[in-house]
Amino acid sequence: MDHQTIVEIHNLEKKYGQKQVLHDINLQINSGQIIGYIGPNGAGKSTTVKILCGLINDFEGDIKIFGKDLRTSTFEIKQQIGYIPENAVLYESLTPMEFMEFIGEMRGLENEITRTKAEVLMNIFEMKPNLNQRIATFSKGMRQKVLICSALLHNPDLIFMDEPLSGLDANSVIMVKEMLIHLAREGKTVFYSSHLMDVVEKISDRIILIDQGKVIADGSFEELNKLSNDENLEKMFTRLTGNTNHSEKAEAFINAFEK
Amino acid sequence: MIRFLLSLFAPFRWFIEKMGADYPQFISILKLKLTMDNRRLKGLGNTSNKETENALVKQSLSQIFFGLFFGMFLMMVKLPFTFYYFAHTFLMVMMAMMIISEFTTILFDTTENVIIQPLPIKGNTISLARNAHVFIYLSLIAINLSIVPIIISIFKFGVLPGLLFTFSIFLNVLFTLFLANILYLGIMHLASGEKLKNILMYFQIFIAILFMLAYQIGINLVDKTQIGNMVLPVYWYTFLVPPAFFSGVVEALSEGVFDLQHLVFIAEALIIPSMAVYFTGRYLTPVFNRKLLDLEQGDRVSKVKTENSRKGIWYRIMFPLFIHRKEERAPFKLLWIMTGRERLFIQSFLPSLAYIAIIIAVQFFSKSFNYNELVQSDRYLVFLYVFILAGATLSTALINGNNLHAAWIFRVIPLDSPADYFKGFIKAAFARYFMPFYIVLSTGIFIIWGVRVLPDVLIAFMSVYFFTILYFYVQTPIFPFGLEKSANQGGATFMKVMGLMAIAGILGYLHYFLLHLFNFANLLLIPVYISAIYYVNRISVYKLISWEKVDKVNNYS
Repeated sequence: MDHQTIVEIHNLEKKYGQKQVLHDINLQINSGQIIGYIGPNGAGKSTTVKILCGLINDFEGDIKIFGKDLRTSTFEIKQQIGYIPENAVLYESLTPMEFMEFIGEMRGLENEITRTKAEVLMNIFEMKPNLNQRIATFSKGMRQKVLICSALLHNPDLIFMDEPLSGLDANSVIMVKEMLIHLAREGKTVFYSSHLMDVVEKISDRIILIDQGKVIADGSFEELNKLSNDENLEKMFTRLTGNTNHSEKAEAFINAFEK
Repeated sequence: MIRFLLSLFAPFRWFIEKMGADYPQFISILKLKLTMDNRRLKGLGNTSNKETENALVKQSLSQIFFGLFFGMFLMMVKLPFTFYYFAHTFLMVMMAMMIISEFTTILFDTTENVIIQPLPIKGNTISLARNAHVFIYLSLIAINLSIVPIIISIFKFGVLPGLLFTFSIFLNVLFTLFLANILYLGIMHLASGEKLKNILMYFQIFIAILFMLAYQIGINLVDKTQIGNMVLPVYWYTFLVPPAFFSGVVEALSEGVFDLQHLVFIAEALIIPSMAVYFTGRYLTPVFNRKLLDLEQGDRVSKVKTENSRKGIWYRIMFPLFIHRKEERAPFKLLWIMTGRERLFIQSFLPSLAYIAIIIAVQFFSKSFNYNELVQSDRYLVFLYVFILAGATLSTALINGNNLHAAWIFRVIPLDSPADYFKGFIKAAFARYFMPFYIVLSTGIFIIWGVRVLPDVLIAFMSVYFFTILYFYVQTPIFPFGLEKSANQGGATFMKVMGLMAIAGILGYLHYFLLHLFNFANLLLIPVYISAIYYVNRISVYKLISWEKVDKVNNYS
C-alpha cells in the first residue's frame, strides 16, 4: 500500500487571548495510519483537533490536508473527513435517524443510502432498536455511539477522534478498537486523541505526545521505547511530561485527610 | 449587594428553622444561587459589567414605566380601600404572570441538584432556598412596579398608609408564591416525566393566553368614567378575595378603624401569608422536591416513545413550495421536526399567535362593534398586518434555547455559506406555523369581505413573509435554540416591540394609502415585494450571514 502524506502541519500556533495554547507544531501524517495523539489535560489536544476539522479558524501557520490548504479549501477537505468530538452535545429532541438523515443529506448522500448505513452502523453497536427514539433518553455511552456512527456515515478518508471511547462499556471499547484497526487497513487515516494510554499503545502506529502546546515525543511505540526503555506508554508519559513523583503526591493526598 | 439581601433573612431565622431548614445551609445555597445569577448576567466574558448593569436598569425602568401606566389609572380612584384593592390585584396578576412565564425555570431548575443533592443537607432546606430565591426576584419586580402607585398613595392618603402599603406588598408576594406552589403541585400530581413537561408547557401557554384575554376584555369592559367614584361594597365573599385582605389592613391601620370587618382583614392579611409560607415550607416543598427529582429522572423513567419518521401531508405540500435549493433541504427538514418538539420554542412562540387571534377576536366583541360598518371598512388590513409582530417573535424564538453546544455539527458539515442553513430554518418555521394560521385568517377575511380583497391578502402575506425573513437574517446568526435566555432581556424586548409596531404600522399604512390613492394602486406592491423577497433571499442573505459572523457568535465545543 502506498502511503501518501495526508496531513501537513507547518509552524502551527494558536493563542486564546494572551494564552498561547499551541507552540510551533510541525507534523506530517501519512495515510493508513492510526495516530495516537496524547498529552496531559490542557495540553492542546482538543484545540489541535478542532483546528484540523475547521471548527477553529484563527490560527497561525500552514495546514494542508489531502494536499489542499485548510484555509482556502475547507469545503473540499470537510467532505472527506469525519469528526467525533469529545463529550459532544446533540440536539436532544431529535432521534439518531433524524440526526443522521440531516448529516447525510447535507453531505449529499441519498436518503435511502443514509438510512441503510445508519441501520447497519447502529446495529453493530446493538442500537438499532433505538434508532427512532429521542436522544434525550439516551445514556452517555449511547450518545457516544450515535456520534461515532454519524461521523462515519459518509465513509471519510480521514477520521478525527477526540476521546471517542469516553462513556463506552468494555465490549464497545474493544469493538471500536477493532474498527479503527480495520479502517486503517483499508487505507483510512485515524487521528486519535486520548488519555487512555493502554489503548493508544496497543492500536497506534505512531504516537505523538504533546505537553503545554509543544510536541515532545513523536514516533511508534517501539521507536520511542528504544530511546528510553520505558516499560509502557504510561511510564513514558509521566517521565516526559515531568510528573514523576506520583506516589509522593498520593501520600500528600492521604495526609490531607488525617489532619 | 448579595450580602445585604442575605442579611434581610436574618430576622426570620427562627421561622425558617421552624419550617425544617438548616439556616446556615439555607443561606449558603441562596448565596450560591445569587452569585451564579450575578455571573450569568455578566455573560461569558464578552459583555462588560457596565452593559449588564444597563440591562438591569433598563429592565427596572420598563417595570417602573409599566407601574406608571397603572398609576395613572389609580389616580382616578378616590377611596383608599378601592385604591389598594386595585393596586394589589394588579400586583398579584403581574406576579402570577411573572412566575409562570419567567420563574418556572428557576422553580424547576434541577441543574444544581447534582452538586447539592449528594451533600448532607437537612430537610427541605434546598426547596426553601429555591423559593426564597424566586421570592427575592419577585419582590424586586413588585417594588419596581409599585414605585409609582406608592408615591401616588402617599400623595393621596398620607405617609403612613404608603408605608403600610409597601409592607403589604411583601405579604402579597409571599401569598402569590404560595398559590403558585400549590398550583404546580396540583399539576405535578397529574403526570410525571416527559408528559409532565409537556403539560407544564401547555399550561404556561394557556395561562399566557388567558392573561392576554383577560386584559383585552378588561380594558374593553371597564367603564372608565365610573372608576373615580367606585365604591367596593364588602360582601361575605369579599373576605375570600386576597387583594381585599391587604387593602383592608392598610385602610384599618392608617385610618384607625378597628371594627369587626377590618379586624378580619388584618387577621387574614397577617395570618394567611405566614400560614401559607409555613405550610409551603413544611409540607408542600418536600413533596415538590420529590416530584422534581422524579422529573429529572423523567426522561429515563417514562416510556420511551418511538418517533414516526414519516412526514405529514402538510410537510409534503409546503416543502416544494418553499425549498428550491438543494442546500436548504436538510435544514428545512431538521427545523420542521425540531420546532414541533422544542418546548421552549413552542412555549414562547405559540402565545404570540394566540395574542393575534385574541386581538382580532376582541374587535368583534367590543361595545361599538357594528357588522355593517366593519364590512364597509378596510379593517382587514389591521388584522393582516398585526401578524408582523408574530414574525419577529418567531425569529427570536428560533434562536432561544439550551442547545448552545449542539451547534458544532453545523460547522463540521461542508457548506459554502451558512446562509443556506438559516434560510432553511426560517422557511421551515414559517411554513409550519404561519401558513396554516394565515390560511385560516384569510378564509375568515374572505367570508366577511368577499374574494375581492384577495390581492390585499396576498400583498399583506408577502409583506409579512418579507419582514419575517429579513428580521431573521439581520438578527444575530446563532444556530437554532442556542441562545440561553437570561433574566435581563426585559427592557430591550420592550423597545424592540415598540419598533416593530411602528414598522407594522408603516407597512400597513403604505398599503392603505395606495389602496385609496387610485384604483388598483395597491397592486403596485406585488412586484415590489416579489423583487424585495427575491433580493433578500437570493442576494443579500449571503452577505448578511457569513461564516465569519456565524463563528463569532456560536460556540462549537
